[in-house]
Order: sequence, then C-alpha cells, then structure tokens
Amino acid sequence: MADPMRIRAKIEGDKTVVRVLMAHEMETGQRRDSTGKVVPAHFIQEVTATHNGKTVLAAQWGPAISKNPYLQFQFAGAKAGEKIAIAWVDNKGDKRTDEATIAA
Amino acid sequence: MCRSDVAAAVALALACTLSHAGPGTGKAPTWPGIGRPATPAEIRAWDIDVRPDFKGLPRGQGSVARGQDIWESKCASCHGVFGESNEVFTPIVGGTTRKDVQTGRVEALAKGTEAQRTTMMKLSTLSTLWDYIHRAMPWNNPRTLGVDDTYAVTAYILNLAEILPGDFVLSDRNIREVQALLPNRDGKSPRHGLWLPTGKPDVRNVACMRNCAPDVKIASSLPDHARGSHGNLADQDRNRGGLRGQVTAASATAAARGGEFAAVKELTGKAACLGCHGVDRKIVGPGFNQVSEKYRAKDNAEAYLAGKIKAGGQGIWGQVPMPPSVTISDADAALLARWILKGTPE
Ligand code: HEC
Ligand code: HEC
Repeated sequence: MADPMRIRAKIEGDKTVVRVLMAHEMETGQRRDSTGKVVPAHFIQEVTATHNGKTVLAAQWGPAISKNPYLQFQFAGAKAGEKIAIAWVDNKGDKRTDEATIAA
Repeated sequence: MCRSDVAAAVALALACTLSHAGPGTGKAPTWPGIGRPATPAEIRAWDIDVRPDFKGLPRGQGSVARGQDIWESKCASCHGVFGESNEVFTPIVGGTTRKDVQTGRVEALAKGTEAQRTTMMKLSTLSTLWDYIHRAMPWNNPRTLGVDDTYAVTAYILNLAEILPGDFVLSDRNIREVQALLPNRDGKSPRHGLWLPTGKPDVRNVACMRNCAPDVKIASSLPDHARGSHGNLADQDRNRGGLRGQVTAASATAAARGGEFAAVKELTGKAACLGCHGVDRKIVGPGFNQVSEKYRAKDNAEAYLAGKIKAGGQGIWGQVPMPPSVTISDADAALLARWILKGTPE
C-alpha cells in the first residue's frame, strides 16, 4: 500500500486552507527504462476531499500531474477541531484515504 | 574554537590570529600599531560553527511540535509546508526511505532515480543542517532563530523526512543518536582529490604540448532559425573576461548605451534582481512589466517603489518575501524604480 498522505488544514479568515502532499510515482506511461521497455502508466485518477460527510472537492487527474503531487485548495463552512478526509484512487485500483484535524 | 580547517571562514581565522597575539596569550602583538586584539566576546560572536563531531554545538532542546509552528510561520513560505519546495527552491525533504535509514546510504542517490536531489538525500552530517539553519535561515532574516528553536525546527525537518517520530525532543544530549539515523550518513566518501589539500583532482585537463591541432574547427552549430531563440547571448553573458556570449540576435543594449539608464545593467547585476524578477515574467518575484503596469498610473509610484527596493517586502504579490537590498543607495533605488516604471527600457 502507498505511504500516507501528509495533510495540513487550517482556518484562515472565513475559509479553511487544505494542503496535501501525496506519495505516488505518477508514471506517465511515456517513459522507457534502461532496457528500452515502456514503464507502465501508474497515476492517481480520482481525488476526493470530504468534510462532515460532504464532498468539498472532487478531481479527475491524469498522467500530466507530477510525482508526489502537492494539492492545495480552500473551502468554506468548517470549524477548528473538525476533520477533513482526502482519498485517491489510481489507475490500477490502488487507493488510500487519510484524515487530518482542522487547526484554528 | 580556533581551527585550521580549510573551510574555516576568513573572518574567524583573522579573529583567531589576533587573539593569539592578545593580552591573554602573553605574546607581543605581531604587527604593532595595526588594529587591536579581538575581545573574547567578539570572538564568541563569530565562533558559531558546529563541527561534524558536534564540537561547538550549544546546549539546548526543541520538540517536533514546536518545530512545526516555526516551520509553518518562518520557513514554509519559501520551502513549502512539507519541505517539498516544488515551486521555487530545491526541496529539503523527500527521496529517502526507511530502508535508507537502516543502511545509511540513500539508494535513490546511488541509482539516480529521483528527478531532483533533496537536502535530506545528500545530508551526511546532522551538524551541517543545524549549523546552516542557525547561521543562515530564515534567508531574509538570518541569525534570528534561537538555539532551542533551531533544535526544534531541525527536529521537525527530520520528522517530515520520517526519521524522527512526532513526539521527539531533539537536544545536544541525543543528537549523536539521531546522527546515526541519517539516511545518507555513510554517503560521504573521502576517496577523492577534493578531500585533502594534497589530493589529486578527479578531472584532468592536459594542455597539448606536441602535435597539437593548429586551429579549432567548429563541427556543428545552432541552425540559424534557432540561434535567436534565447535572445542575444552576448547581452546576457557577463561583459568581463575572455569568454563572451555569441551574438545571436541584434543587440538590444547597444542603442541605449550612455542614456539615462546606462547604470541599470550593472545595478541589477550586482543586486541579482534578475535572479528573482523576469523583465516580462514572474520568477520568484513579479515580472517588472507587471510591477510597471500596477503602479505606472499612481502618484508617488517612483518613491514608493524605490522604498520597496531598499526595504524589501512581502504579501503584495504573494507569500514569498523580497529581502531588503541594503547596499543600494537612495539614488540608485530611485533610478531602478524609474526604469521599472518606464517598462525597463534597454
Ligand atoms: C525567503 C525565503 C526563505 C525562507 C523564509 C527560508 N529559507 Fe531556507 N533557503 C532559502 C534559499 C534561497 C536557500 C538556498 C540558499 C543558498 O543556496 O545559498 C535556502 C536553503 C536552506 C537549507 C539548505 C538546503 C541545502 O540543501 O543546501 C535549509 C536546511 C533551509 N534553507 C532551512 C530553512 C529553515 C529551517 C527556515 C525557517 C527557519 C528557512 N529555511 C527559511 C530560502 C528561504
Ligand atoms: C530573492 C529574490 C528577490 C530579489 C533578489 C529581488 N527581488 Fe524584488 N521582489 C521579490 C519578491 C518575492 C517580491 C514580491 C513581494 C511582495 O509580494 O510584496 C518582489 C517585489 C518587488 C517590487 C514590487 C514591490 C511592490 O510593493 O509591489 C519591485 C519594484 C522589486 N521587487 C524590485 C526589485 C529590484 C530593483 C531588485 C534588485 C535590486 C529586486 N527586486 C531584487 C523578490 C526579489
């Protein structure tokens, strides 16, 4: 299974700013290894962020996103102490969900 | 401590020399009438280096949790919340594995599998990280982190790199144990010429002494349609020394030599403005054309920008701060401001 994401969520003004660092190879499928074989594509396809059971962000990603992607977004309506959950699914069906507590 | 290491700073070496001749040593000054012996307090203020064996490391401690607060308030604007720095600076953290922590040699470094080398991949002595942060960071405000805060933020970086757990408190007492966990602690090799002053260099540039080719023949060059794609290289390379950039496009500067802004090139060169600002695009700071657009029509724009060039600032174009430029005179700052406002004429 993939390594955990690092997540920081913080109230800034009337919004919550969420920063996420994911651990993923994000292989494009365009690269060849030293023997000339194509390295198979392996990338995150879906990202969802959930707060109190509500989806606050849903994204469809492709192979153009960098290795170990960094994602930052903001949303309204959260309070300090509540949780934000981030989940991804990649093109091989691997998935990962991690959670962080929103800081004041 | 006074050391005779090759790398010892000149200033420190000077302080040591003077102190040898000082009253405490009982020796007569070597150069009578020149200067005075540095006081112990002056030497202490200079003598901040921490050696790989941790000699010179001050006592103190700091927790990962405190380090996170410091990192997010004082370091993350440039290095990224997670030390990933993916926009501007090279990353501090990343590219190391739990296996590396066991072996003491970063595999990705040996195999070249990471696109970009991080600080954590290369670091072989923890003292270097501590010392560097203590003396040089935050970049725009060096020497402002106290000893305990330096321990804390160092601990936090090691926690981001998954070397230390979240409840760890790093101190002068346990730093040696943490050194033994560094992913690349055995990555440094003394088996090359740079290690010793007497060492043989590992590159060889043998001057031809016999049967040498009389002329250099150029075997290939850029096709005409591509020559100018980065502007005129002759204008961009430094204008001193034997090697000059080739003329690859019409010179843009020639026309304006001797004009109002003749001094600008040297000024921007000295202060490295163009390392952070493109003329027509953002690098670290805004493109100068964006700045001009924003302020051109405003009253007092020149005085305002001149002030900002000298004092630096933050928050107008983003979270990355601009450091102050202390060596620039008021007149030069005004000239630069005028030049930017006029759309950076050549
Ligand atoms: C204004 C931007 C800025 C801020 C804020 C800042 N840094 Fe830096 N940092 C830099 C730059 C630029 C370099 C590279 C300097 C050089 O190579 O001369 C650097 C280099 C470093 C390095 C060495 C990287 C290497 O591999 O050589 C470390 C470690 C570091 N910073 C830690 C910190 C810490 C800890 C803080 C907060 C206390 C901090 N920085 C705040 C800009 C910044
Ligand atoms: C280390 C990178 C760096 C260097 C070197 C640097 N700048 Fe900046 N500069 C910045 C950043 C970042 C900003 C944006 C600051 C902000 O958002 O308030 C900025 C902003 C500015 C502004 C706009 C100020 C405002 O209030 O809108 C001017 C003008 C400027 N710089 C001129 C210069 C000149 C002239 C030099 C050389 C003497 C220089 N800069 C050197 C990074 C740099």
